[in-house]
Amino acid sequence: MTILGEFALWIALPVGLWGAILGFVGGRKQRGDLVLSAERSVYAVFFLLILASAGIITAFVTDRFEYWYVANYSNRALDMFYKVSGLWAGQRGSLVFWALLLSMFSCIAVFTNRNKNREFMPYVVGVLLSVSSFFLMVLLFGDVNPFERLAFTPADGRGLNPQLQNYWMTIHPPTLYLGFTSFTVPFAFAIAALLTGKLDTRWIAITRGWILLSWFFLANGIIFGMRWAYQELGWGGFWFWDPVENASLLPWLTATAFLHSIQIQENRGMLKVWNMSLVSLTFLLTIFATFLTRSGLIESVHTFAENTKIAMIFLTFLGVVTGICVLLIAWRYPLMKSENQIQSFLSRESAFLFNNLIFLGAAFAIMWGTLFPLITEGLTGQAITVGPPFFNRVNLPIGIALLALTGIGPVIAWRKASRRNLAKNFIWPVVVGTAVVAGLYLQGARQTMALITFGVAAFVVTIITVEFVKGTRARAHIEGEGIPIAFVHLVMRNRRRWGGYIVHLGVVMIFTAFAGAAFDREVTQTLDPGESVSIQSAFGHEYTLTYQGLSSPRGQNMLRQAVALMTVERNGVPVGSLTAEKRLYVTWEAPVTEVGIRSTPFEDLYLILASLEDLGGAFENDASSQRATFEVQVNILVGWIWYGGFILTIGSLIAMWPSKASLTPAPRRAAEERVPAEPVGV
Amino acid sequence: MLGAALLAIGVMLFLLIPILRGEWASFDRTDEDPTEIGARKHVALKGLRDAEYDYRAGKLDENDYRQIKAEMSREALDAMEAAKAEVEDPDAAGPAGDPLEAEILRTRRGMAEGTTCLDCGHVNEQRSRFCAACGRPLVAVVSNAPSTGD
Repeated sequence: MTILGEFALWIALPVGLWGAILGFVGGRKQRGDLVLSAERSVYAVFFLLILASAGIITAFVTDRFEYWYVANYSNRALDMFYKVSGLWAGQRGSLVFWALLLSMFSCIAVFTNRNKNREFMPYVVGVLLSVSSFFLMVLLFGDVNPFERLAFTPADGRGLNPQLQNYWMTIHPPTLYLGFTSFTVPFAFAIAALLTGKLDTRWIAITRGWILLSWFFLANGIIFGMRWAYQELGWGGFWFWDPVENASLLPWLTATAFLHSIQIQENRGMLKVWNMSLVSLTFLLTIFATFLTRSGLIESVHTFAENTKIAMIFLTFLGVVTGICVLLIAWRYPLMKSENQIQSFLSRESAFLFNNLIFLGAAFAIMWGTLFPLITEGLTGQAITVGPPFFNRVNLPIGIALLALTGIGPVIAWRKASRRNLAKNFIWPVVVGTAVVAGLYLQGARQTMALITFGVAAFVVTIITVEFVKGTRARAHIEGEGIPIAFVHLVMRNRRRWGGYIVHLGVVMIFTAFAGAAFDREVTQTLDPGESVSIQSAFGHEYTLTYQGLSSPRGQNMLRQAVALMTVERNGVPVGSLTAEKRLYVTWEAPVTEVGIRSTPFEDLYLILASLEDLGGAFENDASSQRATFEVQVNILVGWIWYGGFILTIGSLIAMWPSKASLTPAPRRAAEERVPAEPVGV
Repeated sequence: MLGAALLAIGVMLFLLIPILRGEWASFDRTDEDPTEIGARKHVALKGLRDAEYDYRAGKLDENDYRQIKAEMSREALDAMEAAKAEVEDPDAAGPAGDPLEAEILRTRRGMAEGTTCLDCGHVNEQRSRFCAACGRPLVAVVSNAPSTGD
């Protein structure tokens, strides 16, 4: 199976190139036979990459340590779950995985469009297979072939980095990759629109679902990554402005801007060049993110690769694609003139434009902060680190402005809104926001930025709630429905609008969680068994943790494990226990920390076993080696990130769900839509 | 090794069969494809709906609402007329990929816009006053379609 997989990888490249060339030539010459062969190439590449991936997984599962990749990312004692996920544990396998996911989405795009949108498809196939072929070239000629053999077969492998042996780390990269790869489909349709000159809103209508799907995966991938960092890195935070974290955030920022700006094009026929530029930029950033993650160019907690040869290949590809996009947009510029102009500064399109500028500003600031150390080091030879203080200082005001826009946007009408109406709609949300800030201030909160964030969050939640209430009441009144039924029908009849508002609520919750971090508390103390440490929460209650002692069970794939047990009391009332660990893995020299987390809806009690006075003795279960230093944190509202992510998922699914209109063929729709049948208020 | 060879041959045949047998993928538009006219109509109707909702929700003044409604109604009616014409005379839309149909469509549009010369049939640049091929003055052919104004 492994040999067949290796061979399949080699066959996939010529098949991909064949299909890419035939797609473009077939489209240009209107040769249906060439296009059909190109479309078959998409299916063939997917099949071949399944074989290649199966070959890699088989090599992991059967401990084939003669392969460099398996020897470096697995060992005999590794859990089977992590052996299977070894496919994306390291640079080599994850590049195959990237190509596999891209070819999967390419297949879906080709299959679902086998009887429609045919004028775009030859070029769509050409673009999709060009990108697949690029990744196959990187794999085969960039010294990163996962099937490369060692000169000898080691008795055991080096094992997987213990920090990657975590459930969240297993699902975080695939989710992010799903987001990166699925965005290639809208990009391919955009290029097809440029090549065919059909630059109206059709390519957006066709790819709207893909754009939402990609955004959804990117958002969840980022949140899963936060969850992993919070649980596994053992410092109590969830975001470190690490280059790879930033790299995953960049395409999400531009994709979010794009999601909003396409609405302006759809509704007002404006921003065609801007949207074309944004879709290209987002695609380039997905490649850039993969490049940063897997090239080893920038030091990062995610960079487990040293090979920098592929960096040049990636940079060349990015340069070539950028050049092609710029030339195509310049070539088609005359066909992309705006059909309308912004009528009023006070309009939704104006608010969306402002939102776009802020998203782009944030993306630019983050990219600059990420690349600046690299550029400086390249020019001066001196390593400079741009850390969280820079990113926090720049992004806090940007984040608050974006948060405010999630509430302002829905209240402003398209085309033209009046000051009087805005004042009327804003008055209660502003009152609620101000009341929240005043209430928190009176409770003793003095963190300015956090207070502003809470105030703006309350403002937005009030606006969105009022929107839902108004819409539901209008529908209930007009249709004579009960409130719950009216609410469901309201959402179902305009899923994009109401799904989007639910996403906004999820975003508000996540931002509130970020602001909550300003009220985190922490205590560090060295304890002997029987001793206690106390910490006061920002909510006023006190936790007392009593150290019960260490135990040293043997875990799978671990040499030693020291588990510290703490009992927990809240205001003197026992509420349970927490454990925190030090682990020494079979294949890893440095001990690894596992934290203990007690989550409640408003705060997490977070326990870190910072150090053991006698690590060797503790691992040997020595009763005199129990003295340990603990770091205890009370992290405020951190769980709201995960709850917000859940709400965001629900909203995205509602917005993504295919509507009846998009499933109905055009002639029937024409008959159905002769009159605006939807009642007012929905 | 035999498996690998069989795999290569199988894939090659799979790719070459359409070319060897002359099987063609379609380039034609289908009923499922969104059309520009359909998209315009959809946007206009959605705009009407949004304006109505915004007005009812107190986001639009009455004067602005009436003005926007009049604009959107006109756009919706225009788009619906165009959609109707497309359904009645589907060839006018010109199936993608058919150069003859595209030429007919271009000529028809040119006649409506006054860029097609009624004498020699040459399609001139926008805003031309005289035919670049024969020098005759250009005139637009006024459509008999009923007025769509409100």
